[in-house]
Amino acid sequence: MNNAAQYKIKVQESKYANSARAFRENVARDLDNSELRENFRGAMDYLVDKRKSAFSEREELDCLRQQCKLIKQRCLVKLPLLLEQLEQQLEQNGIVVHWAESITDANEIIAQLIERNNGKSVVKGKSMVSEETALNDYLELQGVECLESDMGEYIVQLAKEHPSHIIMPAIHQNKQQVAKLFAENIDGFDYNTDVDTLIQQGRQVLRDKFCQADVGISGVNFAVAETGTLCLVENEGNGRMCTTVPDLHIAITGIEKVVEYLADVPPLLSLLTRSATGQAISTYFNMISHPRQDGEKDGPKQVHLVLLDNGRSQAFADDELRQTLQCIRCGACMNHCPVYTRIGGHAYGTVYPGPIGKMISPHMLGLEATKDLPTASSLCGACGEVCPVKIPIPKILLRLRQESVKPKSDDKQVMKGQGAGRKALEAKIWKAWSLVHKRPVLYRTSMWFLTRLRGLMPKKLGAWTKVRTAPKPAAKTLHELMAQRSRGIRDEV
Amino acid sequence: MKFSHSQSARANILAKLKKQVKGADYGKLPVETAFDYPEQDFEQQLNQFICQLEANHAQVIKIKPQQIADTLARQLKNRNIASLLYGESSQYSQAIEQLNGFIELTPYDFMLDGNRERLFNDYPASVTGSYCAIAQTGSIVLWPTENEPRTLSLVPPVHFVIVDTNQLYQDFATLIGAQQWQDKLPTNVVLVSGPSKTADIQQTLAYGAHGPKELVVLLLCDEDTL
Repeated sequence: MNNAAQYKIKVQESKYANSARAFRENVARDLDNSELRENFRGAMDYLVDKRKSAFSEREELDCLRQQCKLIKQRCLVKLPLLLEQLEQQLEQNGIVVHWAESITDANEIIAQLIERNNGKSVVKGKSMVSEETALNDYLELQGVECLESDMGEYIVQLAKEHPSHIIMPAIHQNKQQVAKLFAENIDGFDYNTDVDTLIQQGRQVLRDKFCQADVGISGVNFAVAETGTLCLVENEGNGRMCTTVPDLHIAITGIEKVVEYLADVPPLLSLLTRSATGQAISTYFNMISHPRQDGEKDGPKQVHLVLLDNGRSQAFADDELRQTLQCIRCGACMNHCPVYTRIGGHAYGTVYPGPIGKMISPHMLGLEATKDLPTASSLCGACGEVCPVKIPIPKILLRLRQESVKPKSDDKQVMKGQGAGRKALEAKIWKAWSLVHKRPVLYRTSMWFLTRLRGLMPKKLGAWTKVRTAPKPAAKTLHELMAQRSRGIRDEV
Repeated sequence: MKFSHSQSARANILAKLKKQVKGADYGKLPVETAFDYPEQDFEQQLNQFICQLEANHAQVIKIKPQQIADTLARQLKNRNIASLLYGESSQYSQAIEQLNGFIELTPYDFMLDGNRERLFNDYPASVTGSYCAIAQTGSIVLWPTENEPRTLSLVPPVHFVIVDTNQLYQDFATLIGAQQWQDKLPTNVVLVSGPSKTADIQQTLAYGAHGPKELVVLLLCDEDTL
């Protein structure tokens, strides 16, 4: 446990906090990469079209969105009770439940479970929560290899990157880049850009791993409190492999993934797959309620669930911000986001990119590291319009902007890092602005000076004039022009 | 196996959440309205079921119940496959066992432990029954048992699945409600709606990612639906 102890000291915050702080530099870097921009543009156009064709009836879509919003809101208002019910039901079924407040706690629980079972080889199905905890890094320090088995995640892991999209992790790479990566990393593979060949190569490597693995790690899409069931949505079959073949299955999820009834699942599932990839349903929908029972020939002998908080309870504590937790992680908001499409998923520096990332990351990493993220939006509203559970994303982004510039001394601490984006000069300017706008005489006087002294406007205005010309006040104020005009009209009469 | 830290985390998380919803009135929650899908007759449901499956790259073959063995034999021959893994004493095992002597028929009568290599490498195809099916999404419900284990429908590269048209439900919500699933979920239930696939490389669809590369559905029909 020496390494783990060291890790805990070293990693008091997520590695993503630093990359989120570098948001502006990341954006400049990625906007300059034309190949990357082409990859994202192509992928987003594809996903937008797919979603559109999956919802042919407006009436059905509206009804489903309203229903699913209410389902998630009900489950959130009952969240503590449902978590207790889920735990009780899972344990009755033989599934062990663990709770973690921080990412390090979650990683430690998983590492200990693996150690106690002498786990040597770990395969992982797609899990964004395990990305959030940077589980692979943690296990690597313990000398445990944790292999990603979703094709996209596998590519990203080979490239030593992290996912750039929550549904399609390797969307930033094109097939030539993947072919190059495989040729460099897989023995006996010659550069080939045929996608079928690439997938069959990945299949072969990973099947050997599934066959040997003693631990499988997965995420959870819905955890059903009523029945103690873990539901997984996937197309590839790697999720089924990870949760069926190894003797030990560890699932990890955020506390907001619990739903009350089994009957809550069908509408949510329908909206999830259709919003995400335009599929009526994913190839596999896997519902796990027990470890292997007496007489059964396969399936894990132990199943564990790790429930992670990591800032979610902070979002829960505010009525408006709580809506963030309605998210079912379909990715539609990023697919439709003009900012995401242009800067790509890595520029955000966070695990969850795009609009959902801008909303949830401040709770996970604190506003100090993420204060720039909520500002990376044109507030065009596309994300809110497509959100399957009707999260008012633009409104929440505005709220986060306010939280980030609030005076630090305000008594009510809504968020970690509140006021981190506050600048004294900016605050004074706005104070003066509001003062001027409340007093007509002061307003007219300042405007008179502003128009008369317009020649003094500097040509360079920092970042603004890097790609734009500096604005110049008009020669006369609107009030003056209007007065002049009405005088003219009177004179004519 | 519990960790002490987990217990304090549990207490902290629940306390934080409970503080926020104290006094919430669960009787006053807004009414949730499900979309009222137009009711379809059997023929429409069957058509939709087949269309969806085929759109997802599954092969659907309509047969009479007594044609199971013949169809399997022909389909295996087309693929140059000489062996088949199946579930002993399962729903259709008697029909499948008619293939004995024609192909190498192996019952899944072993524990997975210690037999993984064999399962992953020796069986090019498997056949299973199914629990029921869902028309709206073209989904086949697998309800694995001791006789038809979970990996039987997952590991072999070609999966034949026998579906009875009398077990067709319009949609998932209707099915769960009609059968009261909340009272009887087994270790594992899987909805399968096609062969394994991925679009993770440049949005290009490729089949046979990790699960079966082919899904062949033998659809058991009555005389008049054939």
